[in-house]
Amino acid sequence: MSFGYLIRRIITSIPTILFVAFLVFIVMHLVPGDVVDMMLGTQNYLTQEQIQELYRQYGLDKPLIVQFGIWLKNLAALDFGTSLRTGKKVIDLIFDRFPVTLELSVLSMFFATIIGIPLGITAAIKRNSFLDGLVRVIGLIGLSSPSFWVGAILIVIFAGLFEGFNIFGYVPLTENPLKNLQVMFLPSLTLGLMLSAQIMRMTRSSMLDVLQQEYIKTAKAKGVSYSKVIGKHALKNALIPIITLFGIQLGYLLAGTIVIENMFALPGLGRLLLQAVNERDYPVIQFVVMFIAFLIVALNIIVDFIYTLVDPRVELR
Amino acid sequence: MNRTVRKFLRNPLNLIFLTILFLILIVAIFPGIFTRYTPYSMDYNAILEKPSLNHLFGTDQFGRDIFSRCVYGLQKSVVIAFSSILFASFIGTILGLIAGYYGGAWDLIIMRICDGFFAFPSLILALFIVALFGSTLLNLIIAIGVVYVPIFARTVRGATLSIRETLFVKASKVIGKSNTKIMFNDILLNLSSVLIVTFTTNLSTAFLTEASLGFLGLSVPPPEPTLGGLVGQGTAFLLSAPWITLFPGFVIAIIVLSLNILGDGLRDILDPKNK
Repeated sequence: MSFGYLIRRIITSIPTILFVAFLVFIVMHLVPGDVVDMMLGTQNYLTQEQIQELYRQYGLDKPLIVQFGIWLKNLAALDFGTSLRTGKKVIDLIFDRFPVTLELSVLSMFFATIIGIPLGITAAIKRNSFLDGLVRVIGLIGLSSPSFWVGAILIVIFAGLFEGFNIFGYVPLTENPLKNLQVMFLPSLTLGLMLSAQIMRMTRSSMLDVLQQEYIKTAKAKGVSYSKVIGKHALKNALIPIITLFGIQLGYLLAGTIVIENMFALPGLGRLLLQAVNERDYPVIQFVVMFIAFLIVALNIIVDFIYTLVDPRVELR
Repeated sequence: MNRTVRKFLRNPLNLIFLTILFLILIVAIFPGIFTRYTPYSMDYNAILEKPSLNHLFGTDQFGRDIFSRCVYGLQKSVVIAFSSILFASFIGTILGLIAGYYGGAWDLIIMRICDGFFAFPSLILALFIVALFGSTLLNLIIAIGVVYVPIFARTVRGATLSIRETLFVKASKVIGKSNTKIMFNDILLNLSSVLIVTFTTNLSTAFLTEASLGFLGLSVPPPEPTLGGLVGQGTAFLLSAPWITLFPGFVIAIIVLSLNILGDGLRDILDPKNK
């Protein structure tokens, strides 16, 4: 693990970020009509000169390449413009909503881990047993079910079983931690269950691979206790593909938060995005999409970094 | 090929889920035969009715028959998911063949563009495109399809890289076949098993993406039913009339499950690593 590697990774991810910025920029320009048309809507009381002035103000009279330069400059300066509907700064909106999405993601990962990894390990140890079969079937069902359907089933069950359980009504963690965790429980459990299906499958196959290795046999022959063989020798080596999966799932997780936040009325980034989509609030749409893409690139660098902590053999250059 | 098919069908799991998928496809192609009501006809004497013999899946807040809406929604969802993967496999295969066969600058440019697309979660990219251009049937197919182009491109490129070095491709070159012919005859033919597996597994996720867009209200606009849209509209009545949500969700799950199992089954048989 070296500081130089981190710098190099950040530099090599710049083209990807630039391309993403370019893609978002181009797609926004392909949209029939432009920002001015959007703002004016159907009620157009402005004169031709006033409209021209608006074009100048938004830099829309300049050539496309110059506009792209301005867009990049604004991105770099974190000047994300203002929402067309609320007049608030987009950057403020994002920082306002992001903690909710972050909390949801972290809690979902927590549930996914405590459900997925133990079940995956058990299935691998007791290969071809009834339990193994059950885990595989549940895994496949989890992989195939839409998250909103699983969420709906959980809501129906919880509303029926526990009266007075707060399913809806988000409050910030800092304001009322107990109620916050209660409201966050079902959404994160839903997402966690979805993620755990893949983690379970990956843990199982990865553990099966490792358990067949010679050094596991050696450890057993040496008389190392069974739990130590599994926990220390096998699991540690099986973790690498699982961590890769975590990295891949981050994108899936962020997409999942859009659906789940809207289902459970949580004021996170996903809800902000859908709201902006429904209100055609273009600055908000483009910066939220940009922000999410940026987040994924950054998180992938972090995941690569975690490899070295788990497996000293991985050398990052 | 015949032996492969027989091997595939010998697994009872594959046979069961192939039958389920086939039946669902029949229902999607001929929705009129299986439904008693149109998906739009409202009946104010039968609002939010529980599932019964009259209304197999119950009714919604306008008295519309959920079963009919599921069947017609199924048709839309199947068309969108299938067309988008068809679109993605077509474009992605061509790009992957070019990148893998020619290599060099082609490879670099195509693969870096794919990397850029991978930075977007599939649902967010599709949502972005649909949000900006409107949710017509064609836009949905393209928006969901675009998401899967890089997946096909990358898979095909990888396979092409190894096939390119085989003797029969070199022989084709020696006898003077054009590059286009080599790519689209020799190499493509050898990619068929890879393509079949990629097609099936991604069809299931495309189906889920369409359902998620529908749930968020961004698939084909109402009153047209889509499976995801039905679930989304039903959540408002989740505690008083859960059937509006639970039945369409179940239909989505059963289709995706079938596709996943068939995808796994195909991979077991077609993947040379498992032979």
